[in-house]
Amino acid sequence: MNGRRPIVEVDGAVKRFGRLTAVDGVSLTVHTGEIVGLLGANGAGKTTLIKTILGIEALHGGRVNVFGTAPSRATRQRLGYVPQGLGLYVQLSVKQNIDFVAGAFGVRTPTSIPEDIATHAHHQVKDVGLGLQRRLAFFCALLHRPELLVLDEPTSGVDPLARARLWDTIHAQAEAGAGVLVSTHSMQEAEQCDVLVLMSSGRNVASGTQADVIAGTTAVEVRSPVWSMAFEALSAARLPVTLAGRAVRVAGVDRARIAAILSAASVTADLREVPATLEEKMVLVHRRTATG
Amino acid sequence: MTSSSPDGPWGLSACCVRFGTTHGTVAALEEISLAVPRGQVTAVVGGDGAGKTTLLRTLAGRIVPAAGEVRVPPPRRIGFLPSASGVWNDLTVDENVEFVGRAYALGRSRLAARRLDLLGRAELLGAAGRLASRLSGGMRRKLGFCLALLHEPDLVILDEPTTGVDPVSRVELWRMIAETASSGSAVVLSTTYLDEAERAASVLVLDDGHTLYSGEPQSIAAAVPGTIVHTPVRPPGGAGESAWRRGREFRAWYADATAGEVLDEPDLEDAVIALTLARSSEGDAGRRDRAGGAAR
Amino acid sequence: MLAMIIKEFRELRRDKRTLAMLIALPILLLVVFGFAANFTIKTLNTAVLGPGAPLARQLLTMRPQAAEHLKIVVADASGDEGDARGLLRDGEADVAVVTGGEKPLVFINGANLFAAQSAKIVVAGLGEVVTSEILFNPELKTSWVMVPALVGLILTFIGMLITSIGLVKERQSGTLEQLAVLPFKPADVIAGKIAPYLLLASVDMVAVTLLARWIFNVPFAGNPFLFALGALIFLFVVLGLGVFVSTISETVGQAIQTAMFFLMPQILLSGFIFPLAAMPAGVRWIGYGLPLTYFAKISQGIILRGAGLAALWIPFVVLTAMALLIFSAAVLRFRRTITPARSPGTPVPKLAEEFQS
Repeated sequence: MNGRRPIVEVDGAVKRFGRLTAVDGVSLTVHTGEIVGLLGANGAGKTTLIKTILGIEALHGGRVNVFGTAPSRATRQRLGYVPQGLGLYVQLSVKQNIDFVAGAFGVRTPTSIPEDIATHAHHQVKDVGLGLQRRLAFFCALLHRPELLVLDEPTSGVDPLARARLWDTIHAQAEAGAGVLVSTHSMQEAEQCDVLVLMSSGRNVASGTQADVIAGTTAVEVRSPVWSMAFEALSAARLPVTLAGRAVRVAGVDRARIAAILSAASVTADLREVPATLEEKMVLVHRRTATG
Repeated sequence: MTSSSPDGPWGLSACCVRFGTTHGTVAALEEISLAVPRGQVTAVVGGDGAGKTTLLRTLAGRIVPAAGEVRVPPPRRIGFLPSASGVWNDLTVDENVEFVGRAYALGRSRLAARRLDLLGRAELLGAAGRLASRLSGGMRRKLGFCLALLHEPDLVILDEPTTGVDPVSRVELWRMIAETASSGSAVVLSTTYLDEAERAASVLVLDDGHTLYSGEPQSIAAAVPGTIVHTPVRPPGGAGESAWRRGREFRAWYADATAGEVLDEPDLEDAVIALTLARSSEGDAGRRDRAGGAAR
Repeated sequence: MLAMIIKEFRELRRDKRTLAMLIALPILLLVVFGFAANFTIKTLNTAVLGPGAPLARQLLTMRPQAAEHLKIVVADASGDEGDARGLLRDGEADVAVVTGGEKPLVFINGANLFAAQSAKIVVAGLGEVVTSEILFNPELKTSWVMVPALVGLILTFIGMLITSIGLVKERQSGTLEQLAVLPFKPADVIAGKIAPYLLLASVDMVAVTLLARWIFNVPFAGNPFLFALGALIFLFVVLGLGVFVSTISETVGQAIQTAMFFLMPQILLSGFIFPLAAMPAGVRWIGYGLPLTYFAKISQGIILRGAGLAALWIPFVVLTAMALLIFSAAVLRFRRTITPARSPGTPVPKLAEEFQS
């Protein structure tokens, strides 16, 4: 981590809405050249946290520093934000959108526009496919050469190749020194991040690399010729069951208990302990915070 | 043409769907065949505009194809969840259930039993009196799913049930989907998440209305022409165009055999990317050879 | 900031409905307030009855002031007071002069407010020579004249604006797709969606009429069943318009804008604020194309004057024709949104029995 400076520093942030504490003492850091992925169920507080970093919401407790100071118009000038809804004007043409953003940030409309965007320059945004819309939204967000990128579900709904290309852009920005904060529901996007921050009920419950976050959590893989019966038996016991191809997986429950349930249902199966997936970790965390 | 076969087999055969637009006719689906067997989850995969929604709407009877055959159970035996939320936001959870129950003329006791079963499994009983608009995205989707299943349909059609849904709700939705399949219904769903498609028994990969692959997710690797290699850094130059990142390393696709560390077990994501690249390079180079239309 | 301004202009250019409002609204208001907004009625339809009719007619045509403003439409020597009242009730004349008594009796149609004002002036000019009586609305109360037409306005609002919003919300939220797949026949969906508004509008109408009686003491001179029939027919016209608006709008905002397009001209040019007779012919013809105009005639005729079907058959027929045309066209359009889409050039397939609904 040589030469990495923190761009965003959140320290014990607290934000309330009436009686609801949306963000409850969250700390995280985004360094230059780093991609930080923010994960969590709806209502976990991700969106509120992002809004405080953007300066749209104020904190009730703790501290948020962006580029070394509290969020302000000046810090917003140095960051690029792509919201979930893309923030494009669908009635306007591609070029008109670019002109608007350039004008808003006070930069010149670039002369070199990527080829695929340029071919649609005069088409209305609403007539252009989602993949191209997302690329356009990115392009606009990068016009003013921001040092921090804040992205909300950047590749939701696009095909794998388009997703890969969008992430190429994100990585390129990180390699050039920008810090990136991505909020996502997709495990594939989480894979692409350097650091993950897992939120649940307003708290930061795990952070680090993907391996760090999953560390210590295992799952049991159940292979059986009658996979559907195994699935039903385990599901009826209210265990966190998922399917992987024909194999049934149960996370965070010890092998013996699973074996007992299966034998009680007269299901023969092979059991194997495997590392849990990120998704399974999230389900377990959610269950714990929901009941705890 | 659409034929009603109450017991199956169900699916599409060589269906073509065209839409008239201001720019002329657009082929939304080109010679698409899909079998939707009972007791299984069938996934339709593709990006935006690939034709997933068109395909599902054709199965649901909302679109009549220009050519080909659609075999489905009678409309009352079909359950459908559209890609929009699928619930009535100004009604409560219970009012939604009651409305759909009435629409299907479910008797009172049967409706009560179904309600308890479905909302219980979806963990929505505690929110039964809440307005649908006040539910989180994931909970709304689960409610939509319950509504689609209320009348115990034989064929369940779900359009992007998990797009934009948080991972925890997604796992719960999948649990419910798997339970539905294992109870004997035929389930067909569309998704952009390939890790989900991998869980299905069979998958149809669409690109721009065409079939890229149809079959078991585990066998897709064999259908990829050329080779996929993995390297620690992005290949330089032109080859970089056919490369993509996975986690900490890169994968690249080459139309022919090449030197480099070949990827042993490409997963669905790698395979779909490779197939998409293969198709677009075939398109660039071999348009004159299109007449054959080789199926993959 | 400049970037913001340019963007707003560009967006506006694409927003056809708002643009149309920008252009059409000033034009409408200009036309209305320039031409239509006229409270002075130039000529009054006059009837002269009774033995002295020919004489009265001569006198009236000779007097310059009277001649200018009174247009003799009926001259009947055998007519009497009862006939005079009947003529006014049926809307055939606004002023009736009955001769044969001690003094000539002049009846003035109080339901036609501005005609009555003008008539009063004319009659005053005739002096002590005649006795006059204002029928239907003796105190020339504005509220009495407005309220019957107000009923029509309320029906129009609910029928058009609120119905179109209710229908578009379904499309906006994406649940229309699901409705199409649920085992409803298209007729069920349409009837189910419209029925609540039909009911609400009817309830509102009754409520307003009762309130009018209670608060303003507006009388109800005519046949309530006839009135209800007229209102029902009119409701189908505006409900049809509401359904139509919903089929050409994607969002609630668009529905409101479009509904206002149909509403504004009706409010201003249907004759219940500015009298039709006072408008120049060109503008008056616009009024005659609007449904509310005909309902206003029915409503005022029945409530204030007690007119019957014989007198009001023209508005009834016109409204019925409009209802049949507009409502069926709108319903057909709406039906198309919930029946399966067909690829262009597809022959209509033969469906199995189960599918025929």
